[in-house]
Amino acid sequence: MSARSRGTELDLSWISKIQVNHPAVLRRAEQIQARRTVKKEWQAAWLLKAVTFIDLTTLSGDDTSSNIQRLCYKAKYPIREDLLKALNMHDKGITTAAVCVYPARVCDAVQALKAAGCSIPVASVATGFPAGQTHLKTRLEEIRLAVEDGATEIDVVINRSLVLTGQWEGSDFIKTSTGKETVNATFPVAIVMLRAIRDFFWKTGNKIGFKPAGGIRSAKDSLAWLSLVKEELGDEWLKPELFRIGASTLLSDIERQIYHHVTGRYAAYHDLPMS
Amino acid sequence: MAATRAAPHAREIFTSLEYGPVPESPTCALAWLDTQDRCLGHYVNGKWLKPEHRNSVPCQNPITGENLASCLQGQAEDVAAAVEAARTAFKSWSAQPGVVRGQHLTRLAKVIQKHQRLLWTLESLVTGRVVREVRDGDVQLAQQLLHYHAIQASTQEEALAGWEPMGVIGLILPPTFSFLEMMWRICPALAVGCTVVALVPPASPTPLLLAQLAGELGSFPGILNVISGPASLGPILASQPAIQKVAFCGALEGGLRLLIQESVWDEFMRRLQERMQRLRSGPGLDGAVDMGTRGAAACDLAQRFVHEAQSQGAQVFQAGDVPPKRPFYPPTLVSNLPPASPCAQAEVPWPVVVASPFRTAKEALAMANGTPRGGSASVWSERLGQALELGYGLRMGTVWINAHGLRDPSVPTGGCKESGCSWHGGPDGLYEYLRPSGTPTRVSCLSKNMNYDTFGLAVPPTLPAGPEIGPSPAPPYGLFVGGRFQAPGARSSRPIQDASGNLHGYVAEGGAKDIRGAVEAAHQAAPGWAGQSPGARAGLLWALAAALERRKSTLASRLERQGVELKAAEAEVELSARRLRAWGAQAQAQGHTLQVSGLRGPVLRLREPLGVLAVVCPDEWPLLAFVSLLAPALACGNTVVMVPSAACPLLALEVCQDMATLFPAGLANVVTGDQDHLTRCLALHQDVQALWYFGSAQ
Repeated sequence: MSARSRGTELDLSWISKIQVNHPAVLRRAEQIQARRTVKKEWQAAWLLKAVTFIDLTTLSGDDTSSNIQRLCYKAKYPIREDLLKALNMHDKGITTAAVCVYPARVCDAVQALKAAGCSIPVASVATGFPAGQTHLKTRLEEIRLAVEDGATEIDVVINRSLVLTGQWEGSDFIKTSTGKETVNATFPVAIVMLRAIRDFFWKTGNKIGFKPAGGIRSAKDSLAWLSLVKEELGDEWLKPELFRIGASTLLSDIERQIYHHVTGRYAAYHDLPMS
Repeated sequence: MAATRAAPHAREIFTSLEYGPVPESPTCALAWLDTQDRCLGHYVNGKWLKPEHRNSVPCQNPITGENLASCLQGQAEDVAAAVEAARTAFKSWSAQPGVVRGQHLTRLAKVIQKHQRLLWTLESLVTGRVVREVRDGDVQLAQQLLHYHAIQASTQEEALAGWEPMGVIGLILPPTFSFLEMMWRICPALAVGCTVVALVPPASPTPLLLAQLAGELGSFPGILNVISGPASLGPILASQPAIQKVAFCGALEGGLRLLIQESVWDEFMRRLQERMQRLRSGPGLDGAVDMGTRGAAACDLAQRFVHEAQSQGAQVFQAGDVPPKRPFYPPTLVSNLPPASPCAQAEVPWPVVVASPFRTAKEALAMANGTPRGGSASVWSERLGQALELGYGLRMGTVWINAHGLRDPSVPTGGCKESGCSWHGGPDGLYEYLRPSGTPTRVSCLSKNMNYDTFGLAVPPTLPAGPEIGPSPAPPYGLFVGGRFQAPGARSSRPIQDASGNLHGYVAEGGAKDIRGAVEAAHQAAPGWAGQSPGARAGLLWALAAALERRKSTLASRLERQGVELKAAEAEVELSARRLRAWGAQAQAQGHTLQVSGLRGPVLRLREPLGVLAVVCPDEWPLLAFVSLLAPALACGNTVVMVPSAACPLLALEVCQDMATLFPAGLANVVTGDQDHLTRCLALHQDVQALWYFGSAQ
């Protein structure tokens, strides 16, 4: 991670002045996919870039060391070698941005990545994921243990009761939601968050990162997310240090699109390695 | 991005994450042009019409200048042929039950849907507009308009009973017309049963394609006819006897004026400039650009404007990813333009935006209302009360609050002041093409020896013509202006004769100065009158009706002297009183309406008075016509300047005596005199909002 935000004094008057023009946000959200499409080589390049933003995630009740190992391997080799060669991108070291797992699986993930010779960070969800309704003491202990096990990034679930009563916390990244709600990452929500990030940057000079998670499954969606960040915040934010996409099945859809671009054909399910 | 650079590989794009072109192929448009051998004619009565010996004009691609096709310059005979076809088609089209017309319009909408790619590709190719705008905006809205009006047509018999379609409508399109504006006019006209002849500038194939799609539906070939020709054919079209109404179509929207409150100026400019930097400009057929081009002429216009603004001391900010060559012009923000400079008054060309600061809402209103343009505006504020206040105060056809440019077929659009006086869309828009059933066909009265310079200029002198014989007391002498009887500026009078040729009386000879005074008085009274509640207005009209009845015998005897029988005279007086009361009731009934449409958020339709109306009354029915024209104007909150019947203005002057006591000063003003001369004065006065004319053929 690049230089951390220095933070700033909490100024509640900023928060009270915030206004959101809801219908206008909805209108802009509707237009996003239509406004900026990319095709052909541009699409292939953008998709590969999108891969580098993915926090490859597995948060299931039946996670064990074997599927974690598979996941970590996929994180190191997200796209089939021959496809990368065809695009002359095989030597760029394309990997996903991180691997995101439950705290209990952090050890397995760290081991698997070491075995694969990969230096990407392990991110752990913590603090009573996904509801966040546990004691502060256990939540802090969770974080400590995950970090001891080797996690270098933590996805914190904020205490929503504090939010609803107006008591705020700071962070390096803001994430749309845990990904386990009924409605997760939607464009209207994202627009508001991105504008907030921009305003914060204009006021304090600190850059805060953004991570949409939940419901991003298709390659087309990921392109829309990339162009949204590019339009609202600019190219500076299009780096893994400031932008992550929390996804799991997205990667296979991207791989299929790249397969199509390179070969001109649609891959069968068995043509591409499972993750 | 320059076209000459070789396309970058994925490797470079991976680092730069630039956008690439998303070109839409123009092949289908070119293929369609090929079906006509790249040589387009007119489309009349369901068939292509290519008369010989016509000049042709090339239709060019605005970016490359390449010739796409050639279009004809029509001539008068072509216009006549089209009008004849439309007239014949009108007979069968208007006789159809509304449901049949509705179904036909729905079929047309479906055909557009099937060929929408061709339509948007052609429009984007020829005009340079961004394909995304045409595809997602214009073409979709065009289909919605057709569907909406199809439904309106099918309920026409019940909803609009007592109204019938006017006839053949002539539509004149300016050189930079918008496809959508054209549809806004064609759809209601066709829906209610009129047929259309459209005169389009040459080098515009899209209306011809539309006409072809309509014609190929088969059933009613002549309902939409398109002639391409120069603007000089306009008067010829208007003077065709079968044409009942001429509609002008608006041009594409130009640049914008932004009025920004000083306290948010810096923040706003920063955000705007940030957003401008993200804009992309390029060929219209590129799916990933925000702006296209409107041709070399528009580009030059914008450049001239910006240079002039700079020379007058304005600051100019330009940004965006724009190809550096003509005819592309970058989005431009002009600020610090002195308000008194010529650029501040001129229309802002596309793609320029002029930003000016203001301090209070009152100042903003004054600035916004201080231009002759009155099309549409948007107000952005988080304070609802303030936003609504500005919305009420703006003299614009449409005001959006916290949004801009939202359009829906059921919401009427129109303008104020120089932006036009007709309304389209919604149920009200249909009335543009309707008239009460049974009205005789309007005969075109464009007289051949009309000389606008000399009309009504000279006033024939009047000389004493014998003793006045009449019932006493005679009405007060003078012009009724500002609530009292005043002597005319010209200090002369004209005789009024009765049915037997004897002198009935003298009335004042009003002139240009008197008109000016009358209009001033009307304007002074206008805000107060418009602010009155509908109930108060109704009350005044009823009071006048009662006064007329009290004066019945005098009025009846004056009418008798003009040759009307006593019984009929009394009946006329009673009818006049009844009409006043009816309009009074109408005044109370009308109000603002809240409408729900496809847009997010409610639509408030405000019925506002126009301002000052001038009315020139006909010779016949000196009392009834006067009252019948006065009442509706007042009922709706306008103030009036009336020129009464030339044959006998004395009846009007009798009514003035009652108005002197009942009405606020300046509400109704009556100026007698030479009708042609007064008409000229009123027509030339720039501050009269409307003129109702029932005078001579000239």
